[in-house]
Amino acid sequence: MSRATRATVTVIGLVLVLVLTLLAFRLPVFDSLKLIAEGAFGDKFGLSRTAIKTTPLLLTGLGMVVAWRAGMYNIGGEGQFIVGGLSGAWLAKSLIGGPLATAGPAGQILLLVVCALGGAAWAWLAGWLFVKRGVEVVISTILLNFIALQLLSWAVNGPLQEAKRQLPLTDPLPEALMLAKFDRQMDVHSGVLLALLVAVGVYVYLFLTKGGFQLRLVGENPKVARSYHINPDRTHLRAMLISGALCGLAGGVEYVGLSGQLGSGFSQQWGFLGIPVALLGGLHPLLVVLSATYFGALFAGSENLARFTTAGTTLIYVIQAAAVLGFVGLNALADRRPAIKPEATG
Amino acid sequence: MESTGLRVAGVTKRYGALVALDRVDATFSPGEVHAVLGENGAGKSTLMGVMSGFVVPNEGQVLLDGEPVPVGKAFECKRMGIEMIHQHFTLVPEFTAAENLALARLPGLSKSARVGSLADPALQIAERLGWQVDPNERVRTMPVGVQQRLEILKALSGNARVLVFDEPTAVLAPDEVDDLFRVLRRLRDDGKVVVLIAHKLSEVMAVADRVTVLRRGKVVATAVIGDTSPSQLASWMVGEMPIPGAKPEAVEVREGLRADGLVVAGDRGETAVRGVNLRVGRGEIVGIGGVDGNGQVELAEALVGVRRSRGPSVVQFEERPVQEAKVAYIPQDRQVAGLAVGMSVEDNLLVTGHRKPELSSGPLMVVGRVHAWARSLIDRFGIKVSGPAEAVSSLSGGNQQKVVVSRALDTQPDLLVAVNPTRGLDIKATEYVHEKIREARAAGAAVALFTTDLDELYALSDRTLFMSRGELVEDQGAVSLVGGPG
Repeated sequence: MSRATRATVTVIGLVLVLVLTLLAFRLPVFDSLKLIAEGAFGDKFGLSRTAIKTTPLLLTGLGMVVAWRAGMYNIGGEGQFIVGGLSGAWLAKSLIGGPLATAGPAGQILLLVVCALGGAAWAWLAGWLFVKRGVEVVISTILLNFIALQLLSWAVNGPLQEAKRQLPLTDPLPEALMLAKFDRQMDVHSGVLLALLVAVGVYVYLFLTKGGFQLRLVGENPKVARSYHINPDRTHLRAMLISGALCGLAGGVEYVGLSGQLGSGFSQQWGFLGIPVALLGGLHPLLVVLSATYFGALFAGSENLARFTTAGTTLIYVIQAAAVLGFVGLNALADRRPAIKPEATG
Repeated sequence: MESTGLRVAGVTKRYGALVALDRVDATFSPGEVHAVLGENGAGKSTLMGVMSGFVVPNEGQVLLDGEPVPVGKAFECKRMGIEMIHQHFTLVPEFTAAENLALARLPGLSKSARVGSLADPALQIAERLGWQVDPNERVRTMPVGVQQRLEILKALSGNARVLVFDEPTAVLAPDEVDDLFRVLRRLRDDGKVVVLIAHKLSEVMAVADRVTVLRRGKVVATAVIGDTSPSQLASWMVGEMPIPGAKPEAVEVREGLRADGLVVAGDRGETAVRGVNLRVGRGEIVGIGGVDGNGQVELAEALVGVRRSRGPSVVQFEERPVQEAKVAYIPQDRQVAGLAVGMSVEDNLLVTGHRKPELSSGPLMVVGRVHAWARSLIDRFGIKVSGPAEAVSSLSGGNQQKVVVSRALDTQPDLLVAVNPTRGLDIKATEYVHEKIREARAAGAAVALFTTDLDELYALSDRTLFMSRGELVEDQGAVSLVGGPG
């Protein structure tokens, strides 16, 4: 299957999945599609909503791309997202009132960096367990998700709780530390651009640098890498660090760009949703921009749909799952390569 | 009815242009342990696959007691009584011994059958063979030797008439091997046809009554064990020892690789290389022969610096650490350790090329230069592809090996280490690889060539050594091959 046919089949398949899901929910297909489209792209508010939903999906999706390309099946985006946000909140709590509040953009950058470091550290735990102890990353990252959730819930009821100590929330960040907004009426913030820049950066890293090549090679065949003096352990750890940093950054952008404070519901499954986003994007950083936008628009659009019909945002999860299953099936079909010819005249 | 055994008649199996089995004839009689001996890639596995119905031959057939065995129907073959004991066990680790034995008897039986009654016949056989098998123990916790017994019992619990053992000793400890041989003889005395796929000479000598030797898909010889000798078997296996002819044009040999005191561990922690000293001068090819699995791969990996030596040792090139020399490596198995089959030709070339300073600026690889370089390699080495972006998996074996060879010899190396560089290639591709190795030598490389193919060894080498049980020994003709591992 050529790339073009594959892309066409994917797009047609996604539309088909959307239509079938609407039918299964007994919704009028045409009107529903219209509501979704209006909610996602109808006006500047719709576009803003789409951008806001796309950003965390894109960053966590990119995180998954880096890890999975190295053969590390990181399922821990959720935990890394949360720990990222927590790290930022911890920094804010300890430095606010001090130098951070007046730092402006430098303070924002510092917050985001600390969030990324927090996510990286959380992912590093799983990487270390794999390299040193052979613990499957799938297992350890899933379990680290639970720990991160508990950590969050403990933190917002304990050390990071707001000064008034009434709600399970952190204090909101001062306005000066929030990422710049383009329009006071809308939520969309400069983190959206940052996410797009990061997508380009991940592309450059994976496909145009030596380190990225080694990472992909280790993911394809660690034995070959080892035979040619590339250390698979070190590469695996590096992939987990980058992956965790991207998920932590996603948490940071959500925190510093949108919510400004953390509650126990800080992540709306963004870390988990990064996996279908990455898969649908074929683990390619630039295609992941498209798949993140698709799901971001669905989120924004189905909120609108939910306002006028009985369907909730559950619809999206169904569509996501169906789309990913369809996509995986398509890949499996395409990967039925002809068996390697043992020999022909060279 | 008098059984006449299993007959393989004129079986040919081709994979593309590679002839895996070439008009193979063999008769396996009841009351005999009949070994099929050959190097890796000689066609043993394919022959076994044909006998057990897993592989459909292009020509010929298999007859059991004169009746043709249905082609390519593994289940039918099993029903006729042809049983395989695989090297990789087909047991369920979480099940108990009894449950695994029952599983083998399940097809066709009613749902109400109880595990106990299903496993009983096999357990009785175990008792007859003098084996202690605890029916309630989980397979997961059993030693490998006991797992193999279960595998054998599974085969015997049907109406097995032919038992094909695929390199059964590979996983066993020495005393377990003795017990296995006792059982093989017992099965033979019970009138079964016992086929033993093997590549270790000592084992064939110890247990087989008759031996058929395969080389490059052809039956080289069939003999009664008493009429043959280990060195005879070895030369059948790997080819006649050629009379040393005129050595190729003498190139001045200068000091090159010096390796001393190498002790190298294998993947399972065993000592695979036991104190090897090796000199390979610039301008010479030192050929290292021997039967597979005597530590060749581990030694090669130690020479190129991928595997560390335990304890004090030296690997130097021209008096400096070998890491500082330009080392080219052609690994043993292109599908496993040579190529990333999911990647493009260009990416596979980049396995060595991504470190070339002229292809990058800073940390970035320059796409234009990489494409140009990949294209130039494809042209220089005559790799048949539509372009650098083509998937390496769509190439023929010969062209795949050209990818491995071309990236190794892209720039003239100081040291070339090659392990079975032509295995599985046809004659044309083989000659091509040989030519490239000779060119590297002529340009002053020190070449360490590990090969199990004697023709290759003597065709290319200026000096020959053999590897046996992790040690390097002088070339003493066929005797050097005898006494493989175990």
